[in-house]
Amino acid sequence: MITFTFEGVPLQVEPGASIAAALIAHGERVTRLTRVNSQPRGIFCGIGVCFDCLIEVDGEPNQRSCITTVKEGMVVKVQHGS
Amino acid sequence: MEVRYQVIVLGGGPAGLNAAKYAANSGCEVGLIDAGTRLGGQYWRHTGREEFDQSVHHNFDQGSLLMDAVRANPRITIHGDTTIWSVSVINDEIVLRTKDGALITQRLILATGAYDRTLPFPGWDIPGVMTPGAAQSLLKGQGVLAGKRIIVAGTGPFLLPVSSGLSSHGAKVVGLIEASGKYSWAKSSLELLRNPAKAFEALGYLLELRRGKVEMRFRQAIIAAHPGTDGALESVTIANIDSEWKIRSTYKLSCDVAAVGWGFTADTAIASSLGLTLEVDAEGSVTVVVDDDQRATQSNGAIQIYAVGELTGIGGSDLALVEGAVAGLAVADSTRDLKLLRKRRRKLRRFAQALTKVYPLLPGWKSWLSAETTICRCEEISYSDINRAREEFDAHDARSIKLLTRCGMGLCQGRICGRSIADIMNSTPQERINSAARPILTPITLGEVAQEGLL
Repeated sequence: MITFTFEGVPLQVEPGASIAAALIAHGERVTRLTRVNSQPRGIFCGIGVCFDCLIEVDGEPNQRSCITTVKEGMVVKVQHGS
Repeated sequence: MEVRYQVIVLGGGPAGLNAAKYAANSGCEVGLIDAGTRLGGQYWRHTGREEFDQSVHHNFDQGSLLMDAVRANPRITIHGDTTIWSVSVINDEIVLRTKDGALITQRLILATGAYDRTLPFPGWDIPGVMTPGAAQSLLKGQGVLAGKRIIVAGTGPFLLPVSSGLSSHGAKVVGLIEASGKYSWAKSSLELLRNPAKAFEALGYLLELRRGKVEMRFRQAIIAAHPGTDGALESVTIANIDSEWKIRSTYKLSCDVAAVGWGFTADTAIASSLGLTLEVDAEGSVTVVVDDDQRATQSNGAIQIYAVGELTGIGGSDLALVEGAVAGLAVADSTRDLKLLRKRRRKLRRFAQALTKVYPLLPGWKSWLSAETTICRCEEISYSDINRAREEFDAHDARSIKLLTRCGMGLCQGRICGRSIADIMNSTPQERINSAARPILTPITLGEVAQEGLL
């Protein structure tokens, strides 16, 4: 198992898991709040097409959580705006 | 970095895998490029854990053998995890740009596949509402259930494997909500019965659904989704719909995931960038025009471009495999087995056309939209924004709507909303083809472009 943090909370996942899968496995469905209306969004297309499940990874925003693999020690946060 | 190949195959799903295999076995040096970390595409998306992969796929043996054959072939070089952000023809060569440099060829086989077709409805942007493909990719590629109480809805044969897979792996599938009628398959019964293997596959899913006590409801649709206090999905409104898909009556069901899809849209972005001739099929779907060898038409004679699989019309994995084989042989100027493959392709294409008749999209879905319904998810443009552009600025076509509202100008570049806006605006076939163009195939930062020395 490898460990990363989401909103400061350490979570454990199998190696090779995508961020989206890791979050869903832990009951977390919201990856970002939108730029204009601050609405919550999460995984939608699941294959990197729709850019809706964007998330902040190690300080870098706009990462697609559905196609980004979790790495040991990754710091993942809900993305606010863009 | 610049790498040249005799043949480049773009896409590692069934069509691309078979194209690479046939081309390599006919003597070509092949570069196989895929955006995913594992081969297989969406159809054979897998975890790498053999037992699990077997349990979640209808025919993983076939995929497994093909992927092994491609990996073991010394004439095939696999570029996994590689995204193309632009493509152009320079001095009679096709140049595909990635973050790590250029991949160059004169013979390109496009096998870029498809993604779920979606329709907007009130609440479709709430977390927990996703495509059936998303639920399927979480299960097949990650071994993760998208939720605990799941409703699978929309239309098309794909809803069957998705709901039966989720159910057999432990999710409570509250319902399979199919917009078409219970006996709509009768419209194409003859053609469907000519393909007993497919009928048996469907029967397998139906038995699995019965085992999981999954109720199938026909002529119904999810017409609204509702959030709980955390902002994520808590329930959906389901409507009984008439033969035009207008609402007759409604009821509510609670769920934490609604997987809603309406068939597929081919990913024609690269085909469009290369200036290939595109057409619009009976469903309003943009496809690549190909000849008997899967060769696409384009202006430059020095290069050869082929299109295979869902790009030439949504047809499923069996058809994709055959089209891949035909292109793989044609690109190597081989005629071995070609006659037999073409015959099989004819049969499978007829079957695909028969299926689309069973699951048509009817215009009544537009009556489900409310003023506040998000149409463009990226730019947060609502149905009332679009109607305002129509009324106040007299916008008549999808392009004017885009320029006035920013609809389709976000990161997905209209991949999600483009087709629905075309439907809302009653776009002509040529307008649909024009709106399928995506000059930047995948968003890239200016810093990355600069690093490549391209500015």
